[in-house]
Amino acid sequence: MTDPCPSKSDAGRLTALAPRPSLPDLFVGMLQIALSAFGGGLSAWSQRIVVEQRRWMSNDQFLTGLTVARLFPGPNQINMAVYIGTEFHGVLGAGVALAGMLLVPFSLLLGLGMVYFEVHELPAVARVLAGVVAAAAGMALSMGFKILDQYWKDGVALVLAAVVFVALSVFHARLVPVVLVSGPLAMAWYWPRSARPAP
Amino acid sequence: MSASLWLAAACTPERLSDGGRLLQVMGQFLSLSLFSLGGGNTLLAEYHHLAVDQYCWLTARQFADLYALAEAAPGPSSMIVGLLGLGAAWREGPGWALLSAVAAELAILLPSTLVMVVACLSWKRLARSPLRLAFERAMGPITLGILSAVGLKILRSADTDGAGVVASCVVCVLMLRTRISPLWFMAVAGGLGAFGLINR
Repeated sequence: MTDPCPSKSDAGRLTALAPRPSLPDLFVGMLQIALSAFGGGLSAWSQRIVVEQRRWMSNDQFLTGLTVARLFPGPNQINMAVYIGTEFHGVLGAGVALAGMLLVPFSLLLGLGMVYFEVHELPAVARVLAGVVAAAAGMALSMGFKILDQYWKDGVALVLAAVVFVALSVFHARLVPVVLVSGPLAMAWYWPRSARPAP
Repeated sequence: MSASLWLAAACTPERLSDGGRLLQVMGQFLSLSLFSLGGGNTLLAEYHHLAVDQYCWLTARQFADLYALAEAAPGPSSMIVGLLGLGAAWREGPGWALLSAVAAELAILLPSTLVMVVACLSWKRLARSPLRLAFERAMGPITLGILSAVGLKILRSADTDGAGVVASCVVCVLMLRTRISPLWFMAVAGGLGAFGLINR
């Protein structure tokens, strides 16, 4: 930021950050993100709302958050809410941001779920579901391909991914042991060497 | 422990009618939480294993249905764990089902969220450590392997006919090549299902 302490007069400038959001602001902002992202694209929406509309943080801050959120375990969107909340109000902020992101969508989803369990055996519903599920399976299938691109030039990465895939899909190994074995091996291989920084 | 007994009785739905069993199930989700690398979706095959194979709460088809529901609804799709909890205790009545849904969701989110809070507060020190660099590079390919396996698992659970599999492949390509909202794909495919063009 060129202006670390924006005065009231330039609050309207694009580069100026808005004042620190209050806890209710945080809740409402997260709720807005969760409801905007109907059918995916949550991280694009949170960038639009947090950086562009509400100007709570700079784009750099946001991208750092995305890095942290992807690095650590847990759903990315949930982790991103934790990052944004923590940034402004510590642990309490994380709780409020999470509540904003989850309370309304989760209630909605449970309502939908209850309707589902009531009606899913009706023939008409089952027919529609057969189609919807085929589309959803296509979405699931695309997740792996989506990140495949970045590993084309890294033979070791491809072999590693293939071994993990075969262990899970062909030998029906459970995820936890697979990660506990492959993780440390991969970390040893990718450990940064001062002489030759890996790509 | 009664756990082994329940495991031996393959596909008798595990009843969730008392608090002790509910806690046992929460324990399962708590212990999976920290293994959700690269987002929540890497755990989908494990959820399938727990809900369909181990505890028999749901059929494979119901699991695929709930996955579609969680993807279509607004909010993070990782909320599918709540739906699994709901399904797990559905036989015990709606009140117990809702309790089980909330418990499952809390259990899957709590450990990873706590780690994330600590990570945010200490990120400046972590950012340049070799441990972080190695972890980040190592987890990428592993995530790739896991997500590929998850995609295949969901495709198998969906258990549609040839037309359905073709539709899945078309959606997969469109997801990669276009920025069309996936809701459209589900709506169109749902229509095809209604007219009997996709069956299972």
